[in-house]
Amino acid sequence: MVKDTFKEEKAQNEFEPVIVAYCCNWCSYAGADLAGTSRFEYPTNVRIVRVMCTGRIDPIFVLEALRDGADGVIVAGCHPGDCHYQKGNFMMEKRFAHIKKAVETIGIEPERVKLEWISASEGGKFAALIRETTEQIRQLGPNPFRSIQEPK
Amino acid sequence: MSEKEKLKRRTDASIEAFKSFRLRWVTGRSKVKMEIDEQKYQKILDSIMKDEIERHMITGALKEKGPMTVGELAQLTDLQPNLLVQHLMALRRNGAITEVGEKNRQYLYKLA
Repeated sequence: MVKDTFKEEKAQNEFEPVIVAYCCNWCSYAGADLAGTSRFEYPTNVRIVRVMCTGRIDPIFVLEALRDGADGVIVAGCHPGDCHYQKGNFMMEKRFAHIKKAVETIGIEPERVKLEWISASEGGKFAALIRETTEQIRQLGPNPFRSIQEPK
Repeated sequence: MSEKEKLKRRTDASIEAFKSFRLRWVTGRSKVKMEIDEQKYQKILDSIMKDEIERHMITGALKEKGPMTVGELAQLTDLQPNLLVQHLMALRRNGAITEVGEKNRQYLYKLA
């Protein structure tokens, strides 16, 4: 399903980054919702995936998103100490260091993956994060999987 | 082998590595429980992650193309032959691969 979304993007000549954002149900997803209802403007490059907690996000989710053509991946969760499940975001924080290391080992820029804490009341912060990340990824260029041309 | 294919191989290997018990065990433990300092923990983690990704590149290549020699594996995985031999010995010790005959005076390896 995610792959189909990227196919549509490929049809366009101009580079528009595709960002996958994993948002936790209790804080960041509500923050994204608030950004919408508060009418904050942010780029449409982001594809939000709702998860119950950032603690649920396996490093494999991030690596597979990059392999399937995502130009950037954002992981957004509750602020430390605010996790609905007590310590899910702490687990993610620790795991995120490993994800960054793995992404670097593969040969993809580690700046393409980002971890942020966004509470349910921070709609503005969510919109700003998406704007900022989209701009950063645009500077970095397409994901190597998309940018490397196959020899004919 | 194209750059894209190399990158795909590395990414697939790292996904497989994160599914493996060895890497999950290390990344799932806190350094406090392991009773070692931060620097040592990072060093161990770096080497295990690198090893696991490279070993999964080897097993992935053997799974895809069948029995291969060190030379063929080095070409396919883009790893140095001496490093490759170290990984092959470790994989053989763990029972992940076995030797099946010879080709051009080199051992042929296949998944066990």
